Amino acid sequence: MSTNTEAICRRYQAHAHVRTLFLAFAILLLIVATAIGLCCGATGMSFWEVVSSLLRDMGRGHSIIWMLRLPRIVMAALVGFGLGLAGVVFQAILRNPLASPFTLGVGSGAGLGAVSVILFWGGGFQTYRVACGAFLFSLVSATVIIAVAKMKRASSETMILTGIALMFLFSSLTSLFQYMGTMEQVHEIVFWFFGSLSKAGWNEIALAAAMILLPFPILLRRAWDFNLLASGDESALALGVNVNRLRMWAVAAASLVTAGCICFTGVIGFVGLVAPHITRMVIGNDHRFLLPASALVGAVILVTADTLGRTLWAPQVIPIGIVTSFIGVPFFFYLLMKRSREYW
Amino acid sequence: MLQAINLVFDYNGARVLESVGASVEKGCILSIVGPNGVGKTTLLKCIAGILRPAGGSVLIEDRDTFGMPRKELAKHLGYVAQNMPVRFSMTVFDTVLAGRRPYLAWRPSRKDLERTAKIIEEMNLADLAMRDMDRLSGGQAQKVLLARALAQDTRYLLLDEPTSSLDLRHQLEMLEVIATLVKSKGIGAMMAMHDLNLAARFSDTIMMLHRGRMFCSGTPSEVMTPENIREVYGVEADVRRENGHLHIQPLRCAGLNHPL
Amino acid sequence: MYAHGVTSRTFWIGWLAVALFLNLWIAPAFGASVLIEDALGRKVRLSLPIQTVVALNSDILEILRTLKAEDCVAGVFSEVVREHEFWGDLAQRPKVGSWREPNMETIAALKPDLVIAYSRNPGPLLERKMALFGIQVLRLDFYKVDTLEREVRVMGRLLNREKEAARFCDWYRRHLGVFRVKIARTLRRPAVYIESYTDYHAAGPGSGGDEMCVRAGGNNIAAGLSIPYPRVTPEWVLSRNPEVIIKAAAHGNGYTLRDPAPFNNCRDAILKRPAWHHIPAVASGNVHVMDSAIWTGPRAIIGIAHMLRWIHPNLFPDLNPEALHKEYLETFQGIAYHGVFVSDNIQGGGR
Repeated sequence: MSTNTEAICRRYQAHAHVRTLFLAFAILLLIVATAIGLCCGATGMSFWEVVSSLLRDMGRGHSIIWMLRLPRIVMAALVGFGLGLAGVVFQAILRNPLASPFTLGVGSGAGLGAVSVILFWGGGFQTYRVACGAFLFSLVSATVIIAVAKMKRASSETMILTGIALMFLFSSLTSLFQYMGTMEQVHEIVFWFFGSLSKAGWNEIALAAAMILLPFPILLRRAWDFNLLASGDESALALGVNVNRLRMWAVAAASLVTAGCICFTGVIGFVGLVAPHITRMVIGNDHRFLLPASALVGAVILVTADTLGRTLWAPQVIPIGIVTSFIGVPFFFYLLMKRSREYW
Repeated sequence: MLQAINLVFDYNGARVLESVGASVEKGCILSIVGPNGVGKTTLLKCIAGILRPAGGSVLIEDRDTFGMPRKELAKHLGYVAQNMPVRFSMTVFDTVLAGRRPYLAWRPSRKDLERTAKIIEEMNLADLAMRDMDRLSGGQAQKVLLARALAQDTRYLLLDEPTSSLDLRHQLEMLEVIATLVKSKGIGAMMAMHDLNLAARFSDTIMMLHRGRMFCSGTPSEVMTPENIREVYGVEADVRRENGHLHIQPLRCAGLNHPL
Repeated sequence: MYAHGVTSRTFWIGWLAVALFLNLWIAPAFGASVLIEDALGRKVRLSLPIQTVVALNSDILEILRTLKAEDCVAGVFSEVVREHEFWGDLAQRPKVGSWREPNMETIAALKPDLVIAYSRNPGPLLERKMALFGIQVLRLDFYKVDTLEREVRVMGRLLNREKEAARFCDWYRRHLGVFRVKIARTLRRPAVYIESYTDYHAAGPGSGGDEMCVRAGGNNIAAGLSIPYPRVTPEWVLSRNPEVIIKAAAHGNGYTLRDPAPFNNCRDAILKRPAWHHIPAVASGNVHVMDSAIWTGPRAIIGIAHMLRWIHPNLFPDLNPEALHKEYLETFQGIAYHGVFVSDNIQGGGR
């Protein structure tokens, strides 16, 4: 091997190192954000009290940490992780920077599913049924988009338009149900729509974790295929990627993730669009790094947003959807203005 | 030998290819020429397995490719598209490395990296290795795509108008790179070409398509005759041989009396 | 001649009678008006008489029935059919659409003398549209304890039902007075967490729940917050150690319920909220759920009575909110008392 080749390899490895470093940094950031979130709350607890409450059963403090603060932080992290992940997957398979679980109607589909179950199918095991409803309806959106794409050999613009049309349809259906519902149901839907982490218990977290984390390794294994998809369906096909099958499975997996994100916490939309772009601007488009990094960035954003939402105007809680937009949008604009070139 | 036999392709009920055949030996270049919309790209896509033809077959060393898994096919046949949609672009190195995909585990092996680096060096892309694709000129990007197809380590290459959107200098450079590779590595290449002079100069054989059918094929001097060009392109042309090269000079549209 | 004289006298007396009659009946119809202060503090001039009214929400409709003015009701909000058992004949009146978004055209077609609406709902478009048809609009909120009496008297005056208005106001004031006097005797103000219909949304300052809590001698832990219906964290509630938790619920309609199960389920869900077993109210079982019918509105006084029993059980050993409710429904609404409006007390809890 010539020295020149060696040099190219070394430069590549240095480059890859930066991306690994970013991943490590994101994990560190998530840990810090979690720690800060754990220390913030209505009950004044010092850092050491928090740590000892975390480790030993000391009654009240232990309950506050383990039953109130930790679940909502873990849920925030999970949901952020899922939305960041689903955002990248949808953008990659549609080759469209505007794609996200919400612009494709997958989010509102899941929302309609959850609301329908809340309204029309009350009773025991609500948690699981809401999750199922959300997933089934998110699949409806995803299937329609894929079908349209296949039928008309559609461009990614057509897909986004289809998604937006679906989003409006599902939103109106949800509004209709809300209109028809009793006061009690309406309040439940309102609560749900604001996006809330207050109701996250360990049962919900376990289910959401399964829906969000299980598809992750499957999607990560396809990272090379997502990379190839960026250069067009034909090139990807010629390089041995079964594009149709990849698209179908990826959409199903991402829909499952989306459903897991929003069925217990309501509509927390913006992260799914922004986390992928923020990450992309820093580490580029290699999906082997982009998938986990965007997921981690989403988790950091949501955990931070939740902590801010709880503390900025305490004891009033600012719904997490609102905070997310407030911190996400300016940061996103900043990156858009600052960038020196087209990133997509 | 890469061989396409009696390919038939319909699009929206209209026949685009009518029983077209083509073949190329290792170490040879076959150029497919013909006016716009005649089915050059469709033919290449059918051979590459991107489009599924309604009839006919494609053989690589007498093995039918249609039953082959895609990943397997990608080890035998590389395809370079006319242009790449630039969205979510990666670095040059990552792009070329992606060509190793048929061989790649999730984490590229030392061998994959070395192979990629070697191709980048051979293609004179070393300075650009860590640059993002969307910051390359058209010629550079085209070279990277060719490099990616080379990274596939295939015996045959399909090139869809490799010189489109390149300036004169880069057209020549690109074709010289291709010709060198074909000869030195013994690769068989099929190219869709627009420029008849360049096609005549760099091809071992030329196939002329006309209305979805093969009009004629053979050596450049057999195919590039004023009669053929008039029939297929509707253009009066002057064909001369100088210094061992064919020169095709289009004069006027057939049926018109004033020169172009 | 004599006969003629008689005829002539009769004629003049008749004339006088006609003149008097005209004075009494026609004069007010042409030009009589009255100046009213509405719920937004605006002076509104309304021309009299008011004989037909469109009621845009349940609070207003209930007051109209209290004033025995059912005959005046020309149109009602559409949601009335959901509680047809409670409203009886009134549920059959022409519907003019949702209380939040009524159909202006339907209202105009009914040609009522007056449309009564909440101060904020529906929006100001209502006045503008109604003005086009020469229909008057009056905005009164019958859901605030402080202003209810004044507004009932205003309605009594407008509809010529002053006697009925006085009767209700006396009853209302008498009971509130008893509550106030007894509460003044103690300085104890137990901490109360009042949760609105949506989970973890407290009843803050300016909300009906807060007003009721104050009247019931409780210390609303959300009284110091900045907005009427703030969302709070479970941890904040826990950190304030409320002794009583009261939640509003709308399980359809309490009047038609025979079984307290929906309220009890809602109460049990609160008892089971994570980490809330550290809250005194949960530990002692002093957690209650109240139907929207007696939560604010004209019947807030019933809700206050329940709250008194929960917050100050020793102060009001003989207070029977259900008896009060029965008296209200039978005397003022003219309907039989039944239904379930609160969750059951937990043994040992609720004292």
